[in-house]
Amino acid sequence: MIVLQNAIDAVSLGAVYALAALGIGLIFSVMRLINFAHGELIMAGGFCLYALVGQPLLVVILAVLIVSTVLALGMERVAFRPLRKANPATLLISSFAVSYLVQHVVLMIFGSRAMGVPFLPELGTSIEFLGLRIPRLQLVTVITTLVLMVGLVAFFRFSRIGLQMRAAAEDFTMARLVGVRANRVIAFAFAISGILASMVSFYLVAQTGSVSYKMGVNMVLIAFVSSVIGGMGSVAGAALGGFLVGIISVSLQAYLPVDLRPYRDAFVFMLFILFLFWRPDGLLMSRADRDRV
Amino acid sequence: MLKVTDLSVAYGSITALRGISFEITEGEVVAVIGPNGAGKSTLLLSIAGVLKPRSGRIEFAGRNITGKQAEALVSEGISLVPEGRHIFGSLTVAENLALGATVRRDRQAIASDIDRVLAMFPVLKDRYRQRANKLSGGEQQMLALGRAMLARPRLLLLDEPSLGLAPLIVNQVYQSIMDLRQSGVTVLVVEQNVTRALAVADRTYVLSFGAIAMSGRSTELAGTAAFDTAYFGVSREVEQE
Repeated sequence: MIVLQNAIDAVSLGAVYALAALGIGLIFSVMRLINFAHGELIMAGGFCLYALVGQPLLVVILAVLIVSTVLALGMERVAFRPLRKANPATLLISSFAVSYLVQHVVLMIFGSRAMGVPFLPELGTSIEFLGLRIPRLQLVTVITTLVLMVGLVAFFRFSRIGLQMRAAAEDFTMARLVGVRANRVIAFAFAISGILASMVSFYLVAQTGSVSYKMGVNMVLIAFVSSVIGGMGSVAGAALGGFLVGIISVSLQAYLPVDLRPYRDAFVFMLFILFLFWRPDGLLMSRADRDRV
Repeated sequence: MLKVTDLSVAYGSITALRGISFEITEGEVVAVIGPNGAGKSTLLLSIAGVLKPRSGRIEFAGRNITGKQAEALVSEGISLVPEGRHIFGSLTVAENLALGATVRRDRQAIASDIDRVLAMFPVLKDRYRQRANKLSGGEQQMLALGRAMLARPRLLLLDEPSLGLAPLIVNQVYQSIMDLRQSGVTVLVVEQNVTRALAVADRTYVLSFGAIAMSGRSTELAGTAAFDTAYFGVSREVEQE
């Protein structure tokens, strides 16, 4: 029974990591940018939640979605579009700059202390099911993630712009040569990454009951590691990597000796390094991508 | 229809094209031949808007298109089939063809154009729902051609369409180029296969070290001593100069 309980924890944490990793992986697949400022999209959504908590739920959800998405589009427009022809290292540095800038603007306005946010405290309670205690938050998280992923898959498979994004991810220049508009595809990718980030904001705020200017940092690292495990450039890989890291984290939490549990993340990253020796390209690295000139 | 004036293109400090000028009238098939590194692909990539010229001017249908974005030029009527085909291997044949019509909105006409492409290349019909990276080289070239045709280009740029293909397949590819010209498409084809190029093109330009070494009607060029020198003996001649 305890195994099953752990499995539920693992799946729900994996779902959150997968959402975060998808945001990173999606941007990387279309423009070879590792967007470390993705964590700040999560954080901005969190602070929006802090400002609006207590308002009608629908208003809060929409506002958080909009804030993360608009910030994502703004980043693209101001910090990444002018550098599109620059090499990936330059883009990476730019994303660090954006990340620190947003963090410190928030730091100046709200200070460095974490602030409590009573967002849907009832999510902290559990429901009993066949002798298992399933926290409502985990249930909501898993369902939301599944719905989002099914929606994303359908979007990529059936919509015009989704098809164009897949083409651009495989061969950006050729996509432009058939008439795919670079700006539009990239803006869409950022908008989707903003939506994904806002979902992580809800989870983090509900889970910890607080916001701070550094709340996105750890998540973005996990997301980055997850998308590398899945294979940079593969969107499906990012989701898979997120789930794996979630499952491994929870397993370590459950089965490490009690004294070592506080250092769980150190073990996660150590395993990550070992993984890289084994599969430096990740699990689902596409051949087309490796062959890119 | 296409007028290139004094076009120069460079990669960093390496100059690939040095002041090229030429003109193509509507309905013509023009070939550009020349040895490796002569700047043939660079020329096509510049016309298609992938590379930005250092200087010079490119006019298409009377409008200045110098420095325009590649995606905008597709709607203007210029399509490029690049060297190596660059089909989207992880997408299906159907999706590749649909992407060819990215700039169009006329659903019914697109559907009938897809039927036309499938009639022209029946192998693509058999593999319509398969991933494009499962196709053979020849089939990929047909897919790349079909994809370009779906944009309904007025000017089609072809970069080495016979590269690495069996002679039988090359026949088929060149037959489809002839069909395209029948339907009024202007074609600029870059080739290393001189015989093929001269056979299909009305006029031919010989490119060498980023400049036009020679040009003329294909029928007149073939077999002349000057042509052989320009094409096969260029480096020697330049050294002597």
